[in-house]
Amino acid sequence: MSDCRHIGKARPRPDAADKAAGRTLYINDLIRPGMLHGKVKFSEHAHARIVRIDTSRAERLPGVRAVVTAYDTPEIRIGFLNDNFALKRDKVRQFRDEVAAVAAIDPDIAAEAVDLIDVEYEPLPGVFTLDEAMAQGAPLVHEMDARGNPLTTNELSLRYGHESGDLAVAERASAHVVEGRFSTQLMQQSCLGTAGCLAELDMSGNLSIWARTQIPFLAQRDFTQALRALGLPGRNCRVIVPALGGTFGTGLDTHAYEYIAIVLAHRTNRPVKILYNREEEFANLSPRQSAEVEIAQGCDREGRLTFRRVRVRQDNGAYGSWGATFPTVMLLPVTSLYRVPNVSFDARLVYTNNTYCQAMRGYGNPEVTWPIESNLDELAEAASIDPFELRMRNCNEPGETTPMGLQVTTCGLKECMEATAAKLDWGAERRARRGVGMASLIHVGGSGRIYRSDGGGVILKFDDFGQINVSYGGVEMGQGLHSALSLTVAEALGVSPDKVTINPTDTGTCPWDVGTHASRGAFIACNAALAAAEKARAQIFAAAEEVFPRLALQNLERYCVQHPDYRAPTFDLAAAVKADRFELADGQIVLRDAPAEPWLKVDLDRLLRAIHFRGSRGEVITASAFYEPQSDLPDWQKGVGNMSATYAYGAQGAEVEVDEETGEVRIVRMVAAHDVGKVLNPQTLAGQAYGGLTQGVGYALYEEILTEQGRILNPSFTDYKIPTIREMSFPVHLEFIETDDPAGPFGAKGVGEPGLVPTAPAIANAIYDAVGVRIRDLPITPEKVLRALDARRAASAGKQTSTP
Amino acid sequence: MTPFDYHRPETLAEAFRIAGEIPGARYVAGGTDVLVRIRSGRERPNALISLGRIDTLARLELGSVTRIGARATIGQVLDHPELTSAYPLLAQAARPFGSTQVRNLATVGGNLCNASPAADMAPVLLALDARVEIEGPQGTREVPLDAFFKGPGQTDLAPREVLTTIVLEPPGPDARSCFLRKSRVGMDIALTSVAAHLQLADDRLTRVRIAAGAVAPCPLRLRAVEDLLEGRTVEPGLLDEAARLAASEIAPITDIRASANYRRRLTRTLVRRAVAAACEESR
Repeated sequence: MSDCRHIGKARPRPDAADKAAGRTLYINDLIRPGMLHGKVKFSEHAHARIVRIDTSRAERLPGVRAVVTAYDTPEIRIGFLNDNFALKRDKVRQFRDEVAAVAAIDPDIAAEAVDLIDVEYEPLPGVFTLDEAMAQGAPLVHEMDARGNPLTTNELSLRYGHESGDLAVAERASAHVVEGRFSTQLMQQSCLGTAGCLAELDMSGNLSIWARTQIPFLAQRDFTQALRALGLPGRNCRVIVPALGGTFGTGLDTHAYEYIAIVLAHRTNRPVKILYNREEEFANLSPRQSAEVEIAQGCDREGRLTFRRVRVRQDNGAYGSWGATFPTVMLLPVTSLYRVPNVSFDARLVYTNNTYCQAMRGYGNPEVTWPIESNLDELAEAASIDPFELRMRNCNEPGETTPMGLQVTTCGLKECMEATAAKLDWGAERRARRGVGMASLIHVGGSGRIYRSDGGGVILKFDDFGQINVSYGGVEMGQGLHSALSLTVAEALGVSPDKVTINPTDTGTCPWDVGTHASRGAFIACNAALAAAEKARAQIFAAAEEVFPRLALQNLERYCVQHPDYRAPTFDLAAAVKADRFELADGQIVLRDAPAEPWLKVDLDRLLRAIHFRGSRGEVITASAFYEPQSDLPDWQKGVGNMSATYAYGAQGAEVEVDEETGEVRIVRMVAAHDVGKVLNPQTLAGQAYGGLTQGVGYALYEEILTEQGRILNPSFTDYKIPTIREMSFPVHLEFIETDDPAGPFGAKGVGEPGLVPTAPAIANAIYDAVGVRIRDLPITPEKVLRALDARRAASAGKQTSTP
Repeated sequence: MTPFDYHRPETLAEAFRIAGEIPGARYVAGGTDVLVRIRSGRERPNALISLGRIDTLARLELGSVTRIGARATIGQVLDHPELTSAYPLLAQAARPFGSTQVRNLATVGGNLCNASPAADMAPVLLALDARVEIEGPQGTREVPLDAFFKGPGQTDLAPREVLTTIVLEPPGPDARSCFLRKSRVGMDIALTSVAAHLQLADDRLTRVRIAAGAVAPCPLRLRAVEDLLEGRTVEPGLLDEAARLAASEIAPITDIRASANYRRRLTRTLVRRAVAAACEESR
């Protein structure tokens, strides 16, 4: 694929100019005639019985068109565990529970009306930590499961595990074993565009909903069920995705506010928009789950890994979202990062009265790569082997099948680690308080099967002007999918990317797709687009057999008028014109065997018109294809199955300097080396890598949702800190390893999530190298570093305390 | 957000008149704190009186004394070469202040009147021995800045009074200074900030001023530290003693940003580093 015209060349993404100029229309900008503004009334308790809801004052406020509660609307269950409700009845289980909602003619009136709703609660004792929730006789968050059977525990019934080999034997036979406990924090996705939707029903009860979603078609299924609950069975639902200011996993589930907008639209017979402000986004949407991880790893005398044991407990919060399936992705690094023959994994999730959690970039992978890669450095020290060397001795290789059953086709991990070490001057002498660390990653690189279909479809539509419109059911949420897709179509059809337009995602016009998650967007879309382009080429070439000779001869006539001395070469045009001898290049159709005469090239738009305007045989070209990747739906309880068509690898390294008096960590430089299969657009790829790394730095050092008895204490960017340009002003070296994966479009693998996966352990390992303290709970704040330094100083000073 | 009236007087007299006529009105300059509080519902004034059109409040004059109009923005201070070369502390505090957008709106006077314990301009102005001029319907008065702060969000201002000018003495021929500030990320409320301003001649420290922010109900001068250092030569152990003393003069709290203990540790370190850096600074 080295002869690509567009693939691999830096090119600004098609949406860049409009976004930079502020002309892109987001959900915030959408207005429908007669539209009302919805606002949600949230719980004021973490756990309480609802005694009474008085909406009368809100209803009387001028401008209010509807006030709804669970008591005057049909029950709508949500979430894949069916344990959540659009509006809450009888009791609230978390501070953000939706107890009522208002539709009004403007947002200020809606906000005022919500304040006028009076809810009387009877507080109940809550559970706010894993230990509280799992204690004997703990208050139950849910008394019944979705089927109405009584529950006796706060533990979710979901079970995830993996056992391979003989752990006890392997542990006994190990020369070195290191155990540790690690934890991670609640993390906010911090989308620039806050959550919102606009729901509208037509007079027949058909729903159109503009939504911040990554799963238009699964959302369509969910919302169709809601229509049935509202007494509108058999009505149609259309999900439209406007331009999105980031999603990072928040669009994997459908949310209560979306159903509430539908309920309000149904009640008022008017379009209803709900838009969360930043504080609502922080306090009332789900963050990334926290995790507590116990890990043990062992190796033999040569540093070869003998076993890995990982136990995970997660605070799920009050309801189940797809975030409760994080362990499905944890299985990848636990079983398959480095060659480890004996593996034991178990993950448990527990309901609490904390905010419920949901997906975020990496989906469980950073949560376990953090302990695995931190603990690996501890193991290397115990074995007196350089951490880089230990990793290299256990490096994954192409062709291997891992304990989970992952079939590794291409694997650039070795090259990634070598590049990382080289760029960090691994092993070089450094000044005091400086150190280096590295960590690696494995992630799904060819989608990740969590549903019976893991595919997606593409439709290509050609018009009379040679413009190609592409419809794909996945979602551009800022990651650059449309760039990859337009370059792929342009490459496959020999046209300029300027002639390719990606249509807005709309279940009414786009073919089915399972959703944009698992770093699968470009992998699936571009594979489907290549298959559709092949079909389009076949159609065009078949029709060209008829129309091409006429157009070429017209060209020749014109050419001879302009160049009177021209002598055409003797050439049997009729014999050369065969469907399988055509090629598309530079916006023209050419014959492969013909001489390079200018008149033997026909512009694609002219050819398309000729195919169209030929009486009853006329046709306009459209082509579609559905691509289903080759992978298996794993058995989650056994933790076995080849869930992706290929796997992405990478390594990151950090050099840090630690201030031993303040505990501050300054990143001196970082390296991110990723096996991306093939670079599609270096510009957007760099954006994904830098963005992922930045989020990884935030996860490592700064970001944390703080709660107290279920209440979020820092629901704003004033108090929740993400890295800015000031924190990210260190040099970052990016290295892309191309392994030309046979399953990938042009050889490319998924790249969306890997960027943040190994960042935190790479930094933590560098801190240890710099000053000899190991931090085991994220984020690594200066205060934690200072406390660890104090403890070490106290220990080395013979148990003397050194605090003031 | 509850609605409010908005007034834009062109003279102080007019501002005083409006303030007198509308109980519950409040003055606003840059609005970077006030508007945030109104939007969150923490403050519900029925009218805002903008000081934005009273141009006498925005003057910057360097002479026998330096007069900084209270409505000068942080950005204007930063972009004033004579001012920042005479008082490098001002630039050190203004440079990391919020974001560019915030610096373009937020005013020096507003930062003081907001009376946040963590106000970024307060420690440097305290260390520069600033005085503030206050004007009200009854006339004009001047108070030392360290008598201006009365508590979190509370100042010496009487109802209807306006802080008009910050007055600074010339920095002195042998002036040395340093401002240090720590926060979780660059754009964040300070965890601790320390400003040091002193004269260094013949290796001797005089006119020592040390001020700290975010470690007590008000930004404050660390007078015991100042007394310890006054007239001394910098010798081994002196700065460690100053740092220990500093920790005893402050009363930090634990909040979501850091613990009291960590703030105390940080203050010790910053006091030692700020004085050391000031002494090593070449003029």
